[in-house]
Amino acid sequence: MTVFKTFLKVLNKCKAPIIMYTVILIFFGGFNMKTSENNPNFIATKPDILIINQDEEKGITKNLVDYIKENSNVKEIENDEESINDALFYRDVNYIIYIPENYRENFLNGKNPEIEIKSTGDYQSSLAEMIIERYIKIANIYQKNINSEEEIIENINETLSKQTEIQITSKLDTENLKKATFYYNFANYSILAGCVYVICLILSSFKEQNISKRTIISSMNYRKYNRYLLLSNSLFAIILWIFYVILSFILVGNIMFTTHGLIYILNSFIFTICAVTIAFLIGNLVNNKNAINGIVNVIALGSSFLCGAFVPMEWLPDAVLKIAHILPSYYFISNNELLTKIENINIESLRPVLENMGIIFIFTIAFIIITNIVSRRKRKIG
Amino acid sequence: MFGHNFKYTLKTLFRNKTLIFWTFAFPIILGTFFNMAFSNIENSEKLEIIDIAIVNNEEFENNKIFKEAFENLSDEKNENRLFNTKYVTEEQAKELLENDEISGYMILEKEEPQIIVTTSGINETILKSVTEEIIQTNEIINNIAKNEIEKEIISQNYNIDYEKIYKNIIEMTENQEVNIKNISKNNLSYTMIEYYTLIAMTCLYGGILGMVAINQNLANMSNNGKRISIAPTQKVKTILSSISASYIVQLIGLSLLFIYTIFILKVDYGTNLPLIILLGLVGSFTGLSMGLAVGVLFKTNEGIKTGILISITMLGCFLSGMMGITMKYIIDKNIPIVNKLNPASMITDGFYSLYYYDTLDRYFFNIASLIIFAFIMITISIISLRRQKYDSI
Repeated sequence: MTVFKTFLKVLNKCKAPIIMYTVILIFFGGFNMKTSENNPNFIATKPDILIINQDEEKGITKNLVDYIKENSNVKEIENDEESINDALFYRDVNYIIYIPENYRENFLNGKNPEIEIKSTGDYQSSLAEMIIERYIKIANIYQKNINSEEEIIENINETLSKQTEIQITSKLDTENLKKATFYYNFANYSILAGCVYVICLILSSFKEQNISKRTIISSMNYRKYNRYLLLSNSLFAIILWIFYVILSFILVGNIMFTTHGLIYILNSFIFTICAVTIAFLIGNLVNNKNAINGIVNVIALGSSFLCGAFVPMEWLPDAVLKIAHILPSYYFISNNELLTKIENINIESLRPVLENMGIIFIFTIAFIIITNIVSRRKRKIG
Repeated sequence: MFGHNFKYTLKTLFRNKTLIFWTFAFPIILGTFFNMAFSNIENSEKLEIIDIAIVNNEEFENNKIFKEAFENLSDEKNENRLFNTKYVTEEQAKELLENDEISGYMILEKEEPQIIVTTSGINETILKSVTEEIIQTNEIINNIAKNEIEKEIISQNYNIDYEKIYKNIIEMTENQEVNIKNISKNNLSYTMIEYYTLIAMTCLYGGILGMVAINQNLANMSNNGKRISIAPTQKVKTILSSISASYIVQLIGLSLLFIYTIFILKVDYGTNLPLIILLGLVGSFTGLSMGLAVGVLFKTNEGIKTGILISITMLGCFLSGMMGITMKYIIDKNIPIVNKLNPASMITDGFYSLYYYDTLDRYFFNIASLIIFAFIMITISIISLRRQKYDSI
């Protein structure tokens, strides 16, 4: 009990960073989190295009603009070159098309007028280019064979209206599952930083020389002492975990009430326990209170960046992901990612998830053993 | 006296391990993390070859247009290759789709192609779009052929060479040049902003060094300060020497970061080296002036002053895009005044304009803003430092 009371006292002192980690989680983990209805129909991806039309909006030019509007999100940007360039750099638009002056006239005279574009070079801009090229190709062909503008437009539109039927087979609510994954991936940082910061600070308070000298000469067995500390710290971590789970219900929404949601929660629980043991190990290795802040940042930010908590795993370089295998966060985040793809939950489909959980568990045991070895060695004060 | 204080300030600063960690090592560590996480983002955003399957039923085998089009788009030698196509049976296609090995598959039935996918997405959209293009081209060929044949008939030429007409039209559709000219700039790598905010952070963190150094001169902050205050030396001398020592330390840290980001992380700051250095110098000076002002204005202990400086810096970096590049754009576009007052953003935007723009107006606007900001901070500090007297401490 004495141990626990002291624990609460110290905990009270480090409210500020915990609040900060939570705010970061809400802000970033909940960012872009409007719940969307699961749509069973196919929704075509639409690139963001900016049209700078220097021609009169008439006839074939108008038809081109209408066509682009239909197949992409047309953005409105202030018409000065600096704003336009900024918009392209920060990917507010993927593709800018400058329709030149007298486009309509030159087109109808068969001059195939040059169109200037600016492009970010990513896949959205490739799609935008496909959309625009298709129109121009079709328009050019009809222009060569038909004389009247009206007829050309009519033909173009008729041709473009030929669509392909597309079917979606999966009934998974991928959009909302992705949100849950995003949230829990981000929680990797908050859980790890919260646990390591608080637990290290508490342990270092317990290890101040006078206090630790008194504890060592007391009749309490070092294993029992460690166990008490581990328990009270775990209690803190579990409360933190419950808090983050409740937050996920609020931020992510309905999907958390499904079996998928349950696995997210279970997965994060196993990881939280692992985070406690990591924190315990670091707390036993480091005695300097000033150093804790630096260590927390390096460990929490490091494993979050390396394992794909901030940047989706599929975007990380392979070499980084290989290194990430030595960190428990990797398995936690892998599980979150796996969950967006599992359609039917059964033992067979959950096997990789369970394997990852097993690995996190092994990490946990390993950290406990190492901590006990370290703390036994360190008990001797010269 | 100047030299003496200068030397000892340098020594105390370099021996403060926590301080050196945050100002020297932390930016480098963070830069390394950025590099690990972001180095591949822009490549992953490029269009990759999409894995698809096509059900090779009899109808597909007999449909020359579809077959040739997909073969051409899946050809490894084709520069504009889009697909990696597997020709399989319907069951196999379903299995491939279920195992996530393909984005979708196409099946041709009664002349109507059907596409089956698992979710909506970019690859699926492209597959759909390409299939549509094939049908549409097909349609054009038929339309025009019909026109041509009608023309022939009207001109009372009944000896029509259908094959020739079709061949001509197909040739025409294939040889369509689309006259598009790309005029975008080459420097479009937006992850660079992350590294620029990192430089901004380092410049402003440098303020902590200045604050710690100035604390040594303040009678209400340290015993050292009491002794210095009663010494018969001009305050200007001691303070100037402290500040210049911390500025030197700051610049050493910043140049280490520059060397590391340029040579190891391959960050692109543009090509104008003197202006890059100038921005580094001015940026650090702004950080220093901010540290000075916080050190002088707030009458609390060093820990809280450090906390204030870190909070201001991190908030500034957040607004200039360190935790999400879009943030800088959102602020710049909607509430530009915030980033015009934010020194972190001035530094970031300065590097951005050197990297992205050919003209220097925007760069010099940022430099001027930084100098004005620093000037205000220093004036405030001077006013508050002058004629300080204590009846008791």
